[in-house]
Amino acid sequence: MSERLHRLLLGLAGLAGFGLLLEALPRWGVVSDRYLPPTSRILGELFERARHRPLWDAVFNTLGTWAIGLVVAVAAAVVLGMVIGTVPLLRAFTASTIEFLRPIPSVAWISAAIVLYGPVKMGTLLIVVYAAFWQMLVQVLHGVADVDPVARDTARSYRLGPLARIRWVTLPTALPYLATGLRLAATVALILTVTGELFVGTPGLGADILRASSSGATAGVYALVVVTGLLGVAANLLFRTVERRALSWHPSVRTEVPA
Amino acid sequence: MHRRLAATLFSTALLVAVAGCGDDGGDGGDDQPTGPAGRDQVTVGLIPIVDVAPLFLGIEQGFFEDRNIDVTTDFAAGGAEIIPGVQSGTYDFGFSNVISLMLAQASGIELKVVANGNNSTGVDGEDFGSLMVPVDSPVQSAAELGDATIAINTLNNISDPVVRESVRKAGGDPAGIEFVGVPFPEMEAALANGDADAVFVVEPFQTIIRNNGVGRSVASSWVDAAPDLTVAAYFTSTAMIDENPDLVQRFTEAMTEALAFANENEEAVRNVITTYTDMQPQLASEITLPAWPPEINRASSERLAQLAIQDGLLAEPPDLDALYP
Amino acid sequence: MRVLGWLLWRLVLIFALPAVLVALWWQLSADSSHFLFRPLSEIWEAFRETWDRQRLVEDVLPSLNRLARGYALSLVLGIGLGVLVGSSRTLRSLLEPVLEFLRAIPPPVLIPLIALFAGLGDARRVVIIIAGCVWPILLNTVEGVRAVDEVLADTCRSYRIRGGRRLYHLVLRSASPQIMTGARQALAIGIILMVIGELQGTQDGIGHTIEQFQTSFQYAQMWSGVILLGLLGVALSLLFRLADQWVLRWYHGLRATEKER
Repeated sequence: MSERLHRLLLGLAGLAGFGLLLEALPRWGVVSDRYLPPTSRILGELFERARHRPLWDAVFNTLGTWAIGLVVAVAAAVVLGMVIGTVPLLRAFTASTIEFLRPIPSVAWISAAIVLYGPVKMGTLLIVVYAAFWQMLVQVLHGVADVDPVARDTARSYRLGPLARIRWVTLPTALPYLATGLRLAATVALILTVTGELFVGTPGLGADILRASSSGATAGVYALVVVTGLLGVAANLLFRTVERRALSWHPSVRTEVPA
Repeated sequence: MHRRLAATLFSTALLVAVAGCGDDGGDGGDDQPTGPAGRDQVTVGLIPIVDVAPLFLGIEQGFFEDRNIDVTTDFAAGGAEIIPGVQSGTYDFGFSNVISLMLAQASGIELKVVANGNNSTGVDGEDFGSLMVPVDSPVQSAAELGDATIAINTLNNISDPVVRESVRKAGGDPAGIEFVGVPFPEMEAALANGDADAVFVVEPFQTIIRNNGVGRSVASSWVDAAPDLTVAAYFTSTAMIDENPDLVQRFTEAMTEALAFANENEEAVRNVITTYTDMQPQLASEITLPAWPPEINRASSERLAQLAIQDGLLAEPPDLDALYP
Repeated sequence: MRVLGWLLWRLVLIFALPAVLVALWWQLSADSSHFLFRPLSEIWEAFRETWDRQRLVEDVLPSLNRLARGYALSLVLGIGLGVLVGSSRTLRSLLEPVLEFLRAIPPPVLIPLIALFAGLGDARRVVIIIAGCVWPILLNTVEGVRAVDEVLADTCRSYRIRGGRRLYHLVLRSASPQIMTGARQALAIGIILMVIGELQGTQDGIGHTIEQFQTSFQYAQMWSGVILLGLLGVALSLLFRLADQWVLRWYHGLRATEKER
């Protein structure tokens, strides 16, 4: 059979095996079924919840917070990154500040977000935007820095204005980096959206998980975790496709810029 | 090709963002928004627990509507969120336990209690919270827990002094207690695994732990702390009272009516609990409910404050004239 | 003289903007009576009072200890499993969907579940860190192992380099840039999870201390903790950069010569 079909079948077999394992463990008494309900019960709970509105409200809330946070962070990072990246002096002066602010864990803002905004979108957005922004900024800066000096000089000798230069020289070079940055930022943003909902209480999947957990509805917690995972997988697939499209014409293959 | 892709992504993101925007929670602000027919819109910050059932009952029965108030409830994780939320105007009213309110006052946050929240049942052995030990533990009375590891929901808050008082009342010395912070849903596992010698839990976890045969109660700490202890209350910021005293007055009246109704209609309470929590009806019918007297028990708060000072939570007595109505 | 000038210029570059920002912050917040945004002077005072030697030992050290253990175990697990999975196409196809699904679950969401199994102590917090850190290491290792150069692999086969030597010199070396990428991501995640794991149920730790200040409304102290966390993040990031330079010294040299071409 074809290579792809072979891989697909193996993948499905892996998933099935995993599901069976989680069905067997509680049923055989290896783990208490109060702490790990069997897969069948989790899926049952999932389908039950999918039939009612609250689950979908939560999904939309999470997606909404995620989208807003991502758009804001990416827009800010691209603009700032392009500006800083093209002016060497700016880059030199801001390097230390960026290196200092970047590793600050965004969860440090959880406490502040809670106090400032309470369980509304803004609190979680603070955390999401902060983390996603830095992911994207770093990639943009590397993208701009990677511009071929010959191409840049050629553009200058043809007297292309700064905007035209960005469009024809900088952007195409930086595009793979931007695509990678987008994927990384999106991943981080989703994780922090759900985290924010869990701790700050913003409406969404994270908040629902907290509520299910507080009511002792363990199967519900697992069901919501599955939904969150599926969302993450879908997001990852989407942005990987985007990244591949952006890379498809680029001669060299780039991966995440290390360090 | 890239432009189209980018445009598609961007517009999708925007669409989802707009769709997700619709469910935003409370919206702070000094101006009281008025809804249809000139009704006041208020947002109340709450924890989704049994204690706040009267508020939901009041909404259901129309006590707020009768007074031209439209209530929106917002769930938070705890007093540490709700109190700053009220202070900053995100919420108009909030619900928190008495110790949290005293701590907030001590750090300069200006709040005022407007209505009673909930009280202990006052009946030893039949309260909505208790100190529990593993079912097969040799411990028979709280006196033996003087050196124990005890799991409580929030450190340096109300559970601390009331548990210590249980130990004292039983004849023990609480000086050696080690408190660990554990969220309520994890308390059952903590008892079962032996991670904690005892836990202080409230409903529904008290009933869950009993039903699962994991633990049994040795003390009713709310009862030990003070007779008919007021555990929590509804409050607002002093700024709100200055700006809109009439609204606060009406809210208080509605809330008081709701508390009285809750006290008389146990069935309705148990029903409404299943609407705002994930609790199953079976469990909701088994749990022990708090008492909901319409008046705050100020004497019990004074006693609680004494205990808090004794156990090092508060530095000095709170100004209850400023804090209480 | 020139060296001095160069050094001075470098110092200016590093400290100029931060100094301006801090001064601005100090000025703007000086008269603040907002209950949350305390004046920077007050936060600085709180910083000096709060983070003294005792607290460094009682809170900061345990946190770092847990991070170190979680990170180290993640490296072992991630690289070990990664090499296994990366070397076998069948295993990769079999496990890829499951792994992609598991890694898409935000680790904090797993905390209520981990809590059911791992008890109250340090073990649980270390498990939380591993639950997040292992994925970037694992998946990047798989990628790195998969992409081992065919020519090199054949060369090893003809020279009969097998087993442990092949593993070290061919597989791990080739994959090391990719593995280090994963390790860097894992470090950032590890710091985040170290803090999150301490927000509930600990008796010590940086995250725990910050959270305690927040729940008792002591906001100046809370901000001082946030600043400390930032400093920690920077320090660890620098440490990693040093480690990266050392482990990948052959790689960085190679890239440098390629760039010059």
